[in-house]
Amino acid sequence: MSQPRALANIRVVDFSWVRAGPWATRWLGALGADIIKIEWPENERGRLPSTTTPQTLEVNLNTSGNFADTNVNKKSLSLNVRTAKGLEIVKRLIAISDLVIENFSSRVLQNWGLGYQELCNIKPDIVYVSMSGYGHTGRHHHYTTFGPVAQAVSGLTYISGLPDKPPAGWGWSYMNDTGGMYGAMCALTGLYHRNMTGRGQHIDLSQMVASVPLVGPALLDYTVNGRGTFRAGYPPGNRAHWPGTPLVNNYRGPTVAPHNAYRTSPGEYNDWCVIVCHSDDEWQRLVEVMDAPSWAASPKFATVIGRLQHQQELDEQIEAWSMTLGKYELTERCQAAGIRAMPVQSAEDRVEHDPQLRYREMYLPIEHPALGTYKVQNAPFKLSETPASNHLPSPLIGQHTQEIVEGLLGYSHEELRAGFADGTFWPTKRARFPYMEEMLR
Amino acid sequence: MNPPESLPGPLAGLRILELVDETGQFCGKLLGDLGADVVKIEPPGGEHSRRIGPFLDDIPDPERSLSFWYYNTSKRGITLNLETTDGRQLFLRLAIAADVIVETFRPGVLTSLGLGYESLSKENPRLIMCALTPFGQTGPWRDYASSDLLHMAAGGQMASCGYDESDVPNAPPIAPGGGNAWHMGCHFAYIAIMAALVSRSVSGQGQYIDTSIHEACALTTESAIANYIYRGEVLRRQTGRHHAAGPTPRTQFRAKDGNYVCALVAGRLNPRYIGQLADLLDSYGMAGDLKDAKYQDPAVIAANTSHIIDDLVASFIASLPAEEVYHAAQQRGFTWGAVRAPEVLLDDPHLHDRGFWKEVEHPELGRSFIYPGEAAIFNGSPWRISRRAPLIGEHNTEIFCDELGLSRAELAVLIENRVI
Repeated sequence: MSQPRALANIRVVDFSWVRAGPWATRWLGALGADIIKIEWPENERGRLPSTTTPQTLEVNLNTSGNFADTNVNKKSLSLNVRTAKGLEIVKRLIAISDLVIENFSSRVLQNWGLGYQELCNIKPDIVYVSMSGYGHTGRHHHYTTFGPVAQAVSGLTYISGLPDKPPAGWGWSYMNDTGGMYGAMCALTGLYHRNMTGRGQHIDLSQMVASVPLVGPALLDYTVNGRGTFRAGYPPGNRAHWPGTPLVNNYRGPTVAPHNAYRTSPGEYNDWCVIVCHSDDEWQRLVEVMDAPSWAASPKFATVIGRLQHQQELDEQIEAWSMTLGKYELTERCQAAGIRAMPVQSAEDRVEHDPQLRYREMYLPIEHPALGTYKVQNAPFKLSETPASNHLPSPLIGQHTQEIVEGLLGYSHEELRAGFADGTFWPTKRARFPYMEEMLR
Repeated sequence: MNPPESLPGPLAGLRILELVDETGQFCGKLLGDLGADVVKIEPPGGEHSRRIGPFLDDIPDPERSLSFWYYNTSKRGITLNLETTDGRQLFLRLAIAADVIVETFRPGVLTSLGLGYESLSKENPRLIMCALTPFGQTGPWRDYASSDLLHMAAGGQMASCGYDESDVPNAPPIAPGGGNAWHMGCHFAYIAIMAALVSRSVSGQGQYIDTSIHEACALTTESAIANYIYRGEVLRRQTGRHHAAGPTPRTQFRAKDGNYVCALVAGRLNPRYIGQLADLLDSYGMAGDLKDAKYQDPAVIAANTSHIIDDLVASFIASLPAEEVYHAAQQRGFTWGAVRAPEVLLDDPHLHDRGFWKEVEHPELGRSFIYPGEAAIFNGSPWRISRRAPLIGEHNTEIFCDELGLSRAELAVLIENRVI
């Protein structure tokens, strides 16, 4: 790697687990920070259970595909922080680090003796980002979240779905991904502030609270206009407005039609496209792309109000046409004419069929010591001078224990061996992986 | 702990120029709420995003868009027509002193105006310029048109969201609302800008950043990509819960008041959990047979999963209001939540404890309104809204006269000529 890295010389002590925290440090690692992931196999969450292990491999701590994608660009130190010796070692590591980040529930680090005041005693300008479900402040700080719970409690689940149906919500932990984004955002903001002022701080991030600003305009419609979202026609599915209900903005953009998902050929599970017309002009261009069918010439479709009033018929007619085309062909025809259209893309579509993601090298292979060679996801931003990259595969658990303990912290090889023997670096009753035996030679 | 109000935010001292439509304004809000001096540059007459509703008292007006209000807090606002020579010259003077420019023009537009990064950075090598566009600056889709819905389709969100066939037959894939494609793009743009700023704080050098909203969305579907890459699986949509390769038990239950509760039960059913669940249900007299000793046998639990979830848990939740289930469960350590309409959050005491809601003054209206606040509490440099969104050209005099030294008469001429 010849180019300099944005976060060169930044060291991160990463206690995070499951998804949101690791997703945050993944990006700090891609930007060049040295991420040291502190793990302990007896209470590991993220590597196991795994539903993403390749069918040909045994499920174990090193074979989760999702963990591998979530934890590129990191090193792993297996360490029992709940012992005096383990705590002493992690304090030595913190003393030479810039950032401590964790996503445990709210009192865990404090109970370990690693609360913010103690972190400051160890490293006065430390930046500490805690990413608990409800934050460290507030009466419900002890409540816990997974992504779906943060989404439910914050209103994000409610705003997804068809009217008069149960909420469709989000089909994954959007707030693990996005909570991770906020973790990385807070970490970088804290590091920048420290570089400019010499002062660290504690950043008390909450996954649940971070969800709430994502429903901002709906909240303002309530606090300013007194209009809640508990109303007829809301949420309006993929439409900007649900036919037959009052014309009220749905907080996604302009109220227009067409604005919907339509089936495409050959009608399989993910054969759908979306089409949106933001103006009469865009609509007329769509009419031309559809070969100017007679139904589309009706004056009732000539205006946006007309198209909204007759949206059901409009959508049925558009779908009769969209069913004649594949979703990529439809997209290209529409976009060539300046019409907003896109295919609904599954993961397979994105990895295999999306020409833009392929051109931008979104998925590039990396070799992993236990999994083999698989594609991992790349950054959505290209920095001209300090590009992000996936330069390290996800670590095996404890893979870098020797490198960190002896190389970075300066303990002797005998001390490493003693730590394995007394359960500091690996549970004494648990079988060691072959690479650990190598370390102990 | 909340920091003293007098402290500056973590980005104090940074000057950001924002040249964005509705796709990029959240990034500027984040920068501004975190303390940067964000100057929003709009075309004369105001940016198009002022026309997106809802509007104050439902009266459409570019100064009354609540969407614009929300996404443009803590910014100052000026107007400038970059298609005029005078406008470009004034912009160059601002760019020389700027730390960061965020822009959402179509690829090539700023360069064609002579305002590309190459020319700006010659005068200001510390400049960081972040382009945030639907598909990035390169590639076959770079000039394609987009919208929030389009990104949710192409990015993979819709392929993962929807309904069980038994809930809504023939349901389409669903794009969650709220304009989250723009949020996803802006989160990554913010990360890229901050990385460049941290780098510059050491190297002194700025750089150019090409951020793609499509890629940001494509990255935001948790394990969907890994399921495909490592196992070849394409996941199915399910009502109110995770996509999955095969059907999984439901996690969303209707409460007595018609609201729903998200109760993550499946996958956690071991004897210890059953004991706690029995206690929770029993405290409302709803334990059914769950206290029976047979449930200490994992095999019995496995054979009765449907009974436990679809009969006992579902009946328990159906007997109580959603908020009561939520708090009763959380107080006993269950990671459950009420599915709330956004407005319910105004009554959440936890958010009040965190000082989350902010009263933002709109002096021209003689009113103030409650805004959602910040995701995190910074104890040494507060994240907070400093002011309401700017009126059109509100800070023209401050920036063009007080800062760049134009006379009031010159400003008047430039406004007459639709430069400002």
